[in-house]
Amino acid sequence: MTIVVAVLQAILLVALAPLFSGITRKIRAKMHSRKGTGILQDYYDLAKLMRRSEVREGGSGLVSRLMPPIFLGCFILIAAGLPIVMLACPIPILGDMITILYLMALPRFMFALASIDSASSYTAIGGIRELLVGVLIEPSLILVLFVMAIAVGSTDVGFMSAAVANLQATPLVAVVVAGVAFAMACYIEMGKLPFDMAEAEQEIQEGPLAAYSGPSLAMLKLGVSLKQLVVASLLVCIFLPFGSASSLAPLDIFIGFVVYVAKVLAVFLIASVIENSVMRVRYKILDRYTWFVMGIASLSLVFLVIGI
Amino acid sequence: MTAKKPDALRIGETHVQAVRDTFPGSVLDATWQAADQVTITVPTDMLPDVVEFLYYGRGGWLPNMVANDERPLHGCFALYYLLSMEESDKGFVVVRTEVDPLTMEYPSVTPRVPACVWSEREAFDMFGLRAVGLPDERRLVLPDDWPDNLYPLRKDAMDYRHRPAPTTDIEDYRFLYEGRAEETTQVPMGPLHITSDEPGHFRLFVDGEDIIDADYRLFYVHRGMEKVAEDRLSYDAVTFLADRICGICGNAHSIAYAESVEHAQGIEVPLRAQYIRSILLEVERLHSHLLNLGLVCHYCGFDTGFQHFFRIREKAMDLAVLLTGARKTYGLNLIGGVRRDILDDQKLATIKYVHELRDEVEALVDMLVSTANFESRTSGIGRLDPAIARDYSPVGPCVRGSGIGRDVRFDHPFDGYKFLVGMSARTHDGCDVQSRTLVRVEEFMDSLAMIEQWLDGAPEGPIQTEGWQYTPNRFALGYTEAPRGEDMHWSQTGDNQKCYRWRCKAATYSNWPILRYMLRGNTIADAAIIVGSMDPCYSCTDRVTVVDLNKKSSTVLTKNQLESYCRRRTHSPLAKKGW
Repeated sequence: MTIVVAVLQAILLVALAPLFSGITRKIRAKMHSRKGTGILQDYYDLAKLMRRSEVREGGSGLVSRLMPPIFLGCFILIAAGLPIVMLACPIPILGDMITILYLMALPRFMFALASIDSASSYTAIGGIRELLVGVLIEPSLILVLFVMAIAVGSTDVGFMSAAVANLQATPLVAVVVAGVAFAMACYIEMGKLPFDMAEAEQEIQEGPLAAYSGPSLAMLKLGVSLKQLVVASLLVCIFLPFGSASSLAPLDIFIGFVVYVAKVLAVFLIASVIENSVMRVRYKILDRYTWFVMGIASLSLVFLVIGI
Repeated sequence: MTAKKPDALRIGETHVQAVRDTFPGSVLDATWQAADQVTITVPTDMLPDVVEFLYYGRGGWLPNMVANDERPLHGCFALYYLLSMEESDKGFVVVRTEVDPLTMEYPSVTPRVPACVWSEREAFDMFGLRAVGLPDERRLVLPDDWPDNLYPLRKDAMDYRHRPAPTTDIEDYRFLYEGRAEETTQVPMGPLHITSDEPGHFRLFVDGEDIIDADYRLFYVHRGMEKVAEDRLSYDAVTFLADRICGICGNAHSIAYAESVEHAQGIEVPLRAQYIRSILLEVERLHSHLLNLGLVCHYCGFDTGFQHFFRIREKAMDLAVLLTGARKTYGLNLIGGVRRDILDDQKLATIKYVHELRDEVEALVDMLVSTANFESRTSGIGRLDPAIARDYSPVGPCVRGSGIGRDVRFDHPFDGYKFLVGMSARTHDGCDVQSRTLVRVEEFMDSLAMIEQWLDGAPEGPIQTEGWQYTPNRFALGYTEAPRGEDMHWSQTGDNQKCYRWRCKAATYSNWPILRYMLRGNTIADAAIIVGSMDPCYSCTDRVTVVDLNKKSSTVLTKNQLESYCRRRTHSPLAKKGW
């Protein structure tokens, strides 16, 4: 039964990802005092790209070709494993925090590899920046998840979810501080402004994305919006699991789903407002921000150790 | 300026005397073209000494140098080094020298005064005049596939419609690297780059993300304006061609051209026309500065600010519609005046617009400077050292952001600027992107105040002078302060109701050579905003020869095909061709 839920939620997330990025675009347009495109525009874009033929850079090899499906596939896998509508992981082996972290690192690695494979210098710069963001932000993510794992006694994200929902995750202060750090880390991980280093349009012409076209660009674009949705879901699942289904009853699952969509929508709204009222961080001082996040994450570890 | 002065006290007299005293026998001739303009002729071998003396010794700045083929007049080529004297005895001193048509050589001034570099490179491209000792002899203006011995602006070279066949299929422009680090990666930015919607090829030499050095190739969009003006148009039609030099500050060019002819011919422009010209210049500055403030946001990845500045900019465009009938302040200038008066109801409406603009921009600028990361993205970025600025004579907010108050409006007041009360050039001394941005903000507010002063103060009267005498072979300078800096036009009338030579220098022409120094030591992430903080205008700079650069295109669409595709949106002419 849970495997059905897993498949369904993976399909749902993939189907919803363009809608969420469409909503983000609409908010962006409103904040720009523009009318903007409809919220379904991303679906049209993807459909159009899928029909287009593909143009490859001369000299690019297998890595470039494999990158879009691997990128998308990894996030679909994470989407299948997260405790999104239920308070437990549908497929426990996919819901382990170690698995999730590695599944998030793999696309990043492929992304950077493909960018070196390309002939364009902007692409390579984008790849290097993506790695840099990863190196700077992953420690905070790992630390926070480690704190949570100790707090609830399991590395399974579903257990964390259930423990937080039942207010059994202790010590409370450590968990709350960890939640704050995780929210910040997730925002950076989502690659939104001011942290969209790898795709900075004005600086490096969208970096590695510029090397793709047609269906592989569609896959990559879908992958990027799915990544944002998955990262937002991760935050919602672990630290805001309230309202998710505690049993497999259809009604519970349905309510859990509706509540989940509402929560993720709220996260996206907040992220969009932040995104549109800041300037891009200078690539060189990104570490100031990540150190700040790291500091909060360490604080949660301290609280955990002293038990408040 | 209009008051009669005794001969001994004419503007520029002290400079001419100083040159005479320092280099005895160097001044062969000194003539005044207008009250504030003197041209001295010096022997060719004295040229570098005299220009250097006037530039560094007497507080001169060099807008540009004009080469001229005067063989039909007296058998020689001539060079005019235009110097704007801004320390004492403010005015223009033009150093003229004649170049032998057999050797075609003259000593380069660039090693002494770096500001000459582009003009001297251009003189070679256009006339084949070789500056001996010029450190950088690459082509500047002509494309790489232009024939070697064809110098378009020579009077006997070519018809303006002639398009020579490309001589080569490859672009072999050498980008010069002056850094010290040995291993650098070259990052091409352009010829088409996403943030500079006009073509220009920047080659960044980077180490990681740090820019060690930069070089650039511009002039991809030549339109052959000077050649067309000399061959095809009559001198009084060139005001309308000059409008089209720039998509933003065309009016500044048009006025500069008109005034160069008026100065040369001694035409007195009615006061009311002078006021109207200045008002239009400031209206142009309004929308141009809003454009740049918006772009600063855009380059920093802050598109919200960009869109809001553009929303407000629409109001400045509406103001232009009100005053000129078009969103661009085009087609208003004639030699001797303007074509359209500002009526009473237009005056009231303008004042209303000015108030609205002031309120909205103030609020928006507050928002901009308080936006997260504005400080870190702009402060200390793209440093223009005042010493470099002194050497290269940059103009506009670019140089004023480095603490040097160069502004034609106040250094050499013309038109309505003569009657301003309580205004001076705005400067900031941060030398960085932020300073240049803040200078623009303050100038925007000043422009609003100026427009109000002029609307109140404009005297009644005619807006055109008619019935002057056209005298052939007279030349003079015309100058305006465009939003990006000084526009300097030098024109000489011919004996056929045409320009014999028209040399227009757009503001950005003076600013490009310093860009390399501004880029050094920053990162690739900053490159776009540094280029943007100069507010470059590519097509203004590129105005000389028409060239078809489409040598690699594999599928050529006819205009009809493209138009019909635009209408029907079906049957793409590119279908089945692998697109």
